[in-house]
Amino acid sequence: MNESWKSYPAGSFFDELITPKGQPRAAARGVVRLLQKLPGDEMAERRAAAELAIREMGISFTVYNEAGNIDRAWPFDIIPRVISARQWQAVSDGLRQRSLALNHFIDDIYNRQKILADGVVPADIVLESTNFKPQCMGMSPRFGVWAHVCGSDLVRDGDGRFRVLEDNLRVPSGVSYMLENREITKRVLPELFENYSILPVDDSPSQLYQTLASLSPRERRRPCIVVLTPGIFNSAYFEHAYLAQGMGAELVEGRDLMVADDNCVYMRTVDGPVRVDVIYRRIDEEFMDPEAFRPESLLGVAGLMRAWKAGNVAIANAPGSGVADDKVIYAFVPDMIRYYLKQKPLLASVPTWLCMREKDREHVLKNLDQLVVKPANESGGYGIMVGPHSTAAVRRKFARLIEENPRNYVAQPTLALSTAPTYIDDKVEPRHLDLRPFILQGRDTWVTPGGLTRVALTKGSLVVNSSQGGGSKDTWIVEGKA
Amino acid sequence: MTMLSSVAERLYWMGRYLERAEDSARLVAAYNHLIMDIPRAAELGWDVLIRILDAEPLFYQQYRVGNEQNVLRFLLAEQDSSASIPFAVRWARENVRTTRDVLPEETWEQLNELHLYVSDAAEKSVGRRNRQAFLEEVISRCQRVNGMLSSSLPRDHAHRFLRLGHLLERSDMTTRLMDVGTGEILQRDGTHEAIDPLIWTSLLQALSSFGAYRRMIGPLVEAQQVLEFVFQEPLLPRSVAFCLAEIRAELKPLNNHEKAMRTLARGRRKLGKLQPEHMSREALHAYIDEFQALLADLHDAITASWFQPDTP
Repeated sequence: MNESWKSYPAGSFFDELITPKGQPRAAARGVVRLLQKLPGDEMAERRAAAELAIREMGISFTVYNEAGNIDRAWPFDIIPRVISARQWQAVSDGLRQRSLALNHFIDDIYNRQKILADGVVPADIVLESTNFKPQCMGMSPRFGVWAHVCGSDLVRDGDGRFRVLEDNLRVPSGVSYMLENREITKRVLPELFENYSILPVDDSPSQLYQTLASLSPRERRRPCIVVLTPGIFNSAYFEHAYLAQGMGAELVEGRDLMVADDNCVYMRTVDGPVRVDVIYRRIDEEFMDPEAFRPESLLGVAGLMRAWKAGNVAIANAPGSGVADDKVIYAFVPDMIRYYLKQKPLLASVPTWLCMREKDREHVLKNLDQLVVKPANESGGYGIMVGPHSTAAVRRKFARLIEENPRNYVAQPTLALSTAPTYIDDKVEPRHLDLRPFILQGRDTWVTPGGLTRVALTKGSLVVNSSQGGGSKDTWIVEGKA
Repeated sequence: MTMLSSVAERLYWMGRYLERAEDSARLVAAYNHLIMDIPRAAELGWDVLIRILDAEPLFYQQYRVGNEQNVLRFLLAEQDSSASIPFAVRWARENVRTTRDVLPEETWEQLNELHLYVSDAAEKSVGRRNRQAFLEEVISRCQRVNGMLSSSLPRDHAHRFLRLGHLLERSDMTTRLMDVGTGEILQRDGTHEAIDPLIWTSLLQALSSFGAYRRMIGPLVEAQQVLEFVFQEPLLPRSVAFCLAEIRAELKPLNNHEKAMRTLARGRRKLGKLQPEHMSREALHAYIDEFQALLADLHDAITASWFQPDTP
């Protein structure tokens, strides 16, 4: 066995590839056997090859700090994560169901508000949320779909069961990295692909194109689609450029667009104004239109909301979608599934205490050292407290924050997140990870086969965000036995 | 396939900055040669270069004296002065960074390498010993980028706007170079018959056109003929006439080109009016100034027509 694989500690958490007895799981057998059989230094050589490929392909993301912006190479672990197709099918069905229910919910909130009237979700937590945008009332986008691209974060607990941790409905990122991860693996571990039937992922940009095209207000063979980016300094600019190129769409900034007197959106081109049908926006709605939201925003396009409300342009995700992307609302998603779809939820979620409820808050304050406390509407892993890893001072700070603004905090049990073998220095060691699949919804619904696996590279850490030292892995959905 | 105005603008500037880097290197190299050939009495100063580039206010904010050391530091090593070679290279690169998807894959790589080379070598090149090698390397690396683009970039909008920037910058820099020869800018009293041929020869060399001049015009280097050659020779790729003709060819297929075409026509008429044998040094210098103003108008017309189009 390759030296680096010896003494892999099995069994303390649910491990994606290795059983508690130290044997490879059925779906992962081929991968593990092959990697364990690599002679001497080859693990390190393959890793060096991956790092070189990343530099050559220019895969980077931007990190902000006091010294300015730094373009960092994408951190990648060469050992893929493997999930069987049978297991994935169940997850995929659950994600589809969830996305449908969430879209029903958003459409309902901005129109009849039946779910509030029926008391299934308390009206005040929706209507007082900063993510609820009164500007969107009365809108009904095509197919009743608001969140066209949803990135849900999944984790596996101690039993290996997939649970939804949160739904990202605003501007979820990561799909380009998922595609690049597969490219890298193909380059550096080509022999793995010989004996496996791995579901391909490279279809994703064309699926995204089809989803967006189905939203076009004009019936055209090739609607004009643009990707709206805040610009080169955004951490996900690489992805914006990648997706625009992958879809044959224009990558635009706010100043490339304008709304004319006819309430249509045009892009400024050297051949004059060209009408835009669909905007895949990768900028926060708050910055999207200075007329409707923050007047000081320079990133947006004045009048965009007007054009959208007039039905002259589709925006994905629709403004206002964030109302369902809130950690308090999250607790009600199983109820939404039952309410709108009359179905049982297929995917488990994580028990959640809402600090706005007095009984829940008491429980949270009493058990701060065991719980994970999250602000209701932050993303990127910011502002989170992981109880068991916290100091008394941090817990005091969070207790104060919760008392001051209970609506803004939820708490969940600290999950025993699953691990997978990860190549650290010269040893393969278990590291915690999560999974972000992407659900596309337009005329049809489509779920990426697998998704972006993010892994916390620091021993024992549960924080997987790339802006905070997380890495990633290629994620395989494999058919049959290897 | 149309093109976003903002992308077209970046490509245009990429073309301008890349050509500016190359032409500035040519200018300094030529002057460097010249000054070694000239008798001390002629008292040619290095500050001429600053005047040619219209960079006097900027220069004298930072330096008191226009001596060799200061001028060369300003043009070769100063990262933030808009008249320097490192500045032009950096902005050529920045403009490629956001237009990578419409350019051949090697473009970014080559611009990056050029940028790294200039950042590393510029400081050491202020002194006479490494100066010439540095300038030659900059010129040849710029030419490598241009060669690669001209052999692999599809002849669509991307090529067109890149080329417009390139040609306009070249016309501008060529006229500036000729201004050295008119002598007015040298602020000399009277004429120095003896050094005139030296100056005109070095200017032709700066344009890589000395050989062509000898073949097409003859072995004697004379002011009037050099001026006619460099301004009006339709077959010489670095001549103003050639650049304007090429600009016309690039403008023609564009929508909304009326304004730019009119400005260009003015430039071409003006070009026809150059008659060096009947013009004094002062008149020539004034003519070149007017011509540069015309090129600035052309730049404005291009900007207004394609980079900042009005609302419909």
